[in-house]
Amino acid sequence: MMSDVMRIEVDGREVEARAGETILEVLRREAVHVPTLCHIEGLPPSGACRMCIVELEGAPTLVPSCSYPVAAGMKIRSRSPKVLAARRMIVELLLSSHPDDCLYCGRSGRCDLQTLARDLGVRHRRSRPRGERRERDVSSPSIVRDPDKCVLCGKCVRVCEEVQGVAAIDFVGRGARTQVGCAFESGLNVSSCVNCGQCILVCPTGALSERSCVDEVLEALADPDKVVVVQHAPAVSVTLAEEFGLPPGQDVDGRMVAALRRAGFDRVFDTSFTADLTIMEEGSELAHRIRSGGVLPMLTSCSPGWIKFVEQFYPDFIPNVSTCKSPQQMMGAIIKRFWAQREQVRPQDVVSVSIMPCTAKKFECGREEMGCDHVPDVDYVLTTRELGELLRMHGLDLSRLEPEAADTPFGERTSAGKLFGASGGVMEAAVRTAHWMLTGRELQELEIGPLRGLEGCKELHARIDGLQIGAAVVSGLGNARRLLDQVRGGRKDLHFIEVMTCPGGCVGGGGQPIGADAAAVEARMKALYAIDRDAPVRVSHRNASVKRLYDEFLGEPLGEISHRLLHTHYHRRDVLK
Amino acid sequence: MSKPDTAAQARCWEKMRRPSPELLRGLRGGALAAARDAGPDRYDALLAGLRRERVDRPVVFVGAGTCGLGAGAARTLEAIRRWLAERAVSAEVVEVGCIGLCSEEPIVDIQLPGRTRLSFGGITADRVPDLLEQVMGGTVPAEIVLGQFPDPQGLLQPWDDVARLDEHPFMARQRRVVLVNSGIIDPGRIEEYVARGGYSALAEVLASRTPEQVCDEVEASGLRGRGGGGFPTGRKWKFARQASGDQKYLICNADEGDPGAFMDRAVCESDPHRLLEGMAIAAYAIGASRGYIYIRAEYPLAIERLRQAIEQARAWGLLGADILGRGFGLEIAIKTGAGAFVCGEETALIHSIEGRRGMPRPRPPFPAARGLFGRPTVINNVETLANLPGILERGAAWFAGMGTAGSKGTKVFAISGMVRRTGLVEIPMGTTLREVVFDIGGGIPGGRRCKAVQIGGPSGGCVPESHLDLPTDYEALKAFGTIMGSGGLVVLDESTCMVDFAKFFMEFIQSESCGKCIPCREGTRRMLEILQAITRPRRREDGPDALERFQGIMQLRELGEMIRATSLCGLGQTAPNPVLSTLQWFRDEYEAHIYDRDCPAGACKELVGAPCQNACPAGTEVWRYVAHIARGEYQEAYRVIREALPFPSVCARVCHHPCERMCRAGSTGGEPIAVRTLKRFVVDRVSPNTYAPEVRPAAPGGPRIAVVGAGPAGLTAAYYLGVAGYAVTVFEREDQAGGMLAGAIPEYRLSRSQLRHEIDRMLVANIELRYSQALGRDFSLDDLLGPMGYRAVFLATGAHHSRRMGVPGEDGLEGVIPGIRFLKEYNLHGRELARGRVGVVGGGNSAIDAARVALRQKRVDSVAVYYRRTQAEMPAYREEIDAAWEENIAIRTLVAPVEVIGRDGRLAGLKLISCRLGEADASGRRQPVPIPGSEHVVELDTLIVAISEQPEVDGLSGLTLRRNGTLVVDPESCATSRPGVFAGGDVVTGPNSVVDAIAAGKRAARMIDNYVSGRLLRSLPKVRLPGVYIEPVQADEEEAGSAARVEPPLLTVSRRRKNFAEVELCISEEQARREARRCLRCDLEFTQPA
Repeated sequence: MMSDVMRIEVDGREVEARAGETILEVLRREAVHVPTLCHIEGLPPSGACRMCIVELEGAPTLVPSCSYPVAAGMKIRSRSPKVLAARRMIVELLLSSHPDDCLYCGRSGRCDLQTLARDLGVRHRRSRPRGERRERDVSSPSIVRDPDKCVLCGKCVRVCEEVQGVAAIDFVGRGARTQVGCAFESGLNVSSCVNCGQCILVCPTGALSERSCVDEVLEALADPDKVVVVQHAPAVSVTLAEEFGLPPGQDVDGRMVAALRRAGFDRVFDTSFTADLTIMEEGSELAHRIRSGGVLPMLTSCSPGWIKFVEQFYPDFIPNVSTCKSPQQMMGAIIKRFWAQREQVRPQDVVSVSIMPCTAKKFECGREEMGCDHVPDVDYVLTTRELGELLRMHGLDLSRLEPEAADTPFGERTSAGKLFGASGGVMEAAVRTAHWMLTGRELQELEIGPLRGLEGCKELHARIDGLQIGAAVVSGLGNARRLLDQVRGGRKDLHFIEVMTCPGGCVGGGGQPIGADAAAVEARMKALYAIDRDAPVRVSHRNASVKRLYDEFLGEPLGEISHRLLHTHYHRRDVLK
Repeated sequence: MSKPDTAAQARCWEKMRRPSPELLRGLRGGALAAARDAGPDRYDALLAGLRRERVDRPVVFVGAGTCGLGAGAARTLEAIRRWLAERAVSAEVVEVGCIGLCSEEPIVDIQLPGRTRLSFGGITADRVPDLLEQVMGGTVPAEIVLGQFPDPQGLLQPWDDVARLDEHPFMARQRRVVLVNSGIIDPGRIEEYVARGGYSALAEVLASRTPEQVCDEVEASGLRGRGGGGFPTGRKWKFARQASGDQKYLICNADEGDPGAFMDRAVCESDPHRLLEGMAIAAYAIGASRGYIYIRAEYPLAIERLRQAIEQARAWGLLGADILGRGFGLEIAIKTGAGAFVCGEETALIHSIEGRRGMPRPRPPFPAARGLFGRPTVINNVETLANLPGILERGAAWFAGMGTAGSKGTKVFAISGMVRRTGLVEIPMGTTLREVVFDIGGGIPGGRRCKAVQIGGPSGGCVPESHLDLPTDYEALKAFGTIMGSGGLVVLDESTCMVDFAKFFMEFIQSESCGKCIPCREGTRRMLEILQAITRPRRREDGPDALERFQGIMQLRELGEMIRATSLCGLGQTAPNPVLSTLQWFRDEYEAHIYDRDCPAGACKELVGAPCQNACPAGTEVWRYVAHIARGEYQEAYRVIREALPFPSVCARVCHHPCERMCRAGSTGGEPIAVRTLKRFVVDRVSPNTYAPEVRPAAPGGPRIAVVGAGPAGLTAAYYLGVAGYAVTVFEREDQAGGMLAGAIPEYRLSRSQLRHEIDRMLVANIELRYSQALGRDFSLDDLLGPMGYRAVFLATGAHHSRRMGVPGEDGLEGVIPGIRFLKEYNLHGRELARGRVGVVGGGNSAIDAARVALRQKRVDSVAVYYRRTQAEMPAYREEIDAAWEENIAIRTLVAPVEVIGRDGRLAGLKLISCRLGEADASGRRQPVPIPGSEHVVELDTLIVAISEQPEVDGLSGLTLRRNGTLVVDPESCATSRPGVFAGGDVVTGPNSVVDAIAAGKRAARMIDNYVSGRLLRSLPKVRLPGVYIEPVQADEEEAGSAARVEPPLLTVSRRRKNFAEVELCISEEQARREARRCLRCDLEFTQPA
């Protein structure tokens, strides 16, 4: 029988391989660079792009290394003339139907196709694209699709279906007319798309991008009659550095605040503040549900992609979803209804901008529930990537700015609120505060190991003051699907479930810098844990500003004003699924 | 390669079997189970009835498969029922499937009590009453009977004088294993299948063999996948059998998608139980309890028949749980697909069954390890599965006894395209493609030649005619660069353009590619774009587009090989095959498209424009004058003709009219427009003065041009140069002008007065004609270009030297005359050289001309033509041969001269040897092979040697010549190896047609003009499309129905035999206009009303 470890020959060199591995895995381990356009780590290979083909002795055709399993004694040539010629021709073929607009493309410089053409030395092409342009899909508030730039690698389709369990897009048409699209060729806006933007992250070209609000924000900044207030989400400060070429996992919180001020924002607030507020409201809601026999398990509501997902696919779970608005929307509501009043500015003169790691937030801020008298609580959402663009446009170099503190009163946060940026963070913060609410004592060990890390599904079972509490954390909607199906199937041990739309939570959000692999996401996460480790205040209920807000304005958690400003309800949504 | 043995040839159908006792015992329901229980008599009677060994009343079988229904079988059925009802005849009407001879559909079989079953072809509803009347009355209409069924038991009385159906040329070479019941049994009745031995193999397998034994047996039989790949079936099964999994699946791939292939459909429609039995055996062998039939929704009848069959099999205990009480269960579900070609690829097919978009995934893992729903799965094609009952019943050795070393058994092919008999044939592997096309298919209709055979559909390749001896064998076909495929076999003739054909497949692939992998999606699109660029005209033929076109061939190959090497699935890996194989075998056609902007087959419309115009070497706008004739505008018609041809009335009489050969009215099933006859009508009717060329006066002291030879090429060049303002001198060796037109073409074909008038009108002001001036005798090229002061010379001296036979005794005998000399002596000088018994050797036009001229000479008694091949290979024009034959000239073929026998210095006879046709030579014609010992002598008084002609080389010294004495010129510029010297006509091409000589003269005139003016000696190829709109004339209703070609009246044989009166006469105005209205007006595709 075959032993687990075997030897194979790669470009004339013997290397070790393990049974079950693909050629690509071995080559990558051996630091042999193999270009791919369609490969997604962790998902079954698709074999679509053929960029990773290698010559396998004895095989009648070139074989795709991404899917071909190793076998003892196989001889591989990863860069023979035949292989290189084929790869170059494939790139040339792609270019022959690709629009010539790299200079105007948002992906310029970060485009895999561009890189391949450069690296493989494709310097001419023998045919030009034949005129006909296909319409861009700009129907979605979050995501813009440009079929002309699509190389049909299928990564978006697979992420949408296999990771997120949404399947809003698939291949449509045949032959050269094949394109990625929604059912019945409708726009994304009426599809089951949850706006998570994971497709943008995997897209090798500029075919998928966020719907940019940079121009609108610039206009607001230039308008002397407007007060432009910005909030930034917990996960942005640990990823923005990547937009400036720095390695992942660096926290640039203070410098980002400084940069935002230089860019012209009148106030800089921290969404982590409302994350703390969310813990107060949501924690109280959970305690109330448990005590009063309400609908359990309770599901978190911070992640707008997830909310749309429930509305579409699991409307029977809507009563389980916490009525709390997301931290972004809470901040928006407080800015326009409380802070504006206090500052004596008319709400319509306040432009509320938020910096989010998320494309679904663009959708969320436009939801009917999220405003008052047709004035939205949040006007514009910029993703981390758009913020990078805005700052670069202003010539602001993060590394050369001195850190500054966010504005009071909503710049003050605890590290519990900051943890919202990582999958499990909401739960961790909630458990810290719930323990205090239920027992009146602080938790001894604040760091809750089982809720940390990149895993898609994490669970915690604990006894707090005689109460057996079951909590689960999932990230990636495919994982949410599996868990909800279990609950539908009768699983009873869970009281509270945190769901984050994006794998890893907001650090892996669809608005984050392009090009992060699992290690990068993990580094971002660790940066949040480090902030928590070093923070003076690590539980939400100790946020002094939050307490003051209750004293001065809200009264108490779940109180009447809270109810009006900070809570909402969701409804079943019928879309093409 | 083994040929089918004679015993099998005489019996293309396998012997009928009886249901095995094993099966009978296990049946849980149905008529046979009931009869079994009722006792042997009842059982035997039932069986005999089901097997049609005994019928109590007439039975009428109607082929009602999809092909039959398409040909009108539904109306035929209705007519039969009506006829029977009206006459109150008690008869059984049975709908059967397809026997395979689709070109004869609707096929109706009739079996009268006690008689053998008769089969009739082409029975449309209107022919039903006649047929039934006759057959029921005991007579057989001979012209529509296909044959009578064999009756091996000898129980029935055969019909006299009716051939056996299994001896029909379509059937004789077949060996029907898969199709044994097709078209014979009622596919809607399981009884009939069982009565002929169906399901007995399954019963035997379940009772006495382990699954491993079944796998072994199938492996030993050598059965390979019939869907295209040819993977050994037994081996595939073993992989799946050994794979671990709680559930295994069997999938029958009935997603037949090759254009023109329909054998799977035929099996499903005609014998569905054979497929189900095969599936049950396969499922048992691999351990599958669930089976799927994946079939396209476009096959509604097949789906219906399969549904019905599954239901019946379940009712009889042959499907479902515990089959035949043996503990094995199988459920079969039908899954209909939307008809995507890629879903024939197994992983895409699996995706489709799983409810996802039919897109392939990389293999490994192979479906045998991880297939449907992640479980081990075997996918076999319909024909593969339908072979299993036979293999399990008769054993591996029997099956392996058919076919070749690596390809066992039989293969079903769907023959379509340009072949007489189309349909489904099942032949032993190893049968050559030539046998399939010519012996079974009956060859090419319409006297056209076979060009190639496309085998394997869009994944396959073409096999040129010269390689048709290739056997149907997986390895042999693969080595040749094509594949067996699922059995599509398209026959292509000369009217098919191979570039267009490749383009068709590329279009197909582009609309069927799933779009997943880049090489297939983008690469085939790129290939298609190149093919489109090649086959379409461009606004500018010299811009970057042209460059792209020139790169085409190189890039097609490069792209094709990359697509083949890197595509994800079989569809992509084989997609370039049609292009690569046509490129390999028909590169000249690609080059003609690219460099000459011409489609030799006349199929690429956008290059060809109107095929008639394209076919004319002189570029005459044939469509245009035909349209004018239809409108009665004869003068306009004349002008159009005259514009292109300075010799209109010559061409109206002797042109070999290539336009008619390419006429679309002729290539689409009808007869071509009689173009030359119409032209004759115009030139006879309209005064030549209608057209007066505008001649530019020659400038005094301007450049002078010499033309040597006053034949059609020389005079044409002189004319166009003269019109353009050059002073031209024509030097003619004889004392009259016309060249071969005057010297070789007999007066009965071309009246001398017409010829003279035509030449006189051509001699415009700037032309001087000098007679009796021979090159090499009276002047030399050096003289012309030197002291005589000509700037350029056009050599058009023709080919006047008759070739010798090269046999002993040929020289020095009185009575042996070279063909051209014989003709010239008569035509130019009125001397009759022939007498007595005249023999002519040769098969070209000059041979026939010589024979017909000889016949008209006073001292001649008889004339015979001797030719070494058959009449079909004779280069002379068909109508000339026919006329000669009518005039009582003996035409003896397959004889070659070996010796001329003389007596006293005078010819006495000719010794001939008989020949037979051997292999084809480089020209594609089959070579005559002498038969030793067949020499014989014919006595002759005159022997005219008219094998071929070549130029006389006097005065050509210094120029580059070919071995046969013809001049080498640049085909584009007519320039010889000496600057300033141009040449055209027969001196360049050897004996050729008048219109080609005219075309050469026109081109030379243009090039000489270029040369003298210091321009490049080049002309970019140009696509000439119709550009003038001429309002069409509506044909009336009566006319639209009857569209027979007009034939010119001929002088009766008695009135032309001994004189030189013109044989062909002119048609009437009424005939002309009617004929002209028949024109399909291909030009209208390119022109718009003003």
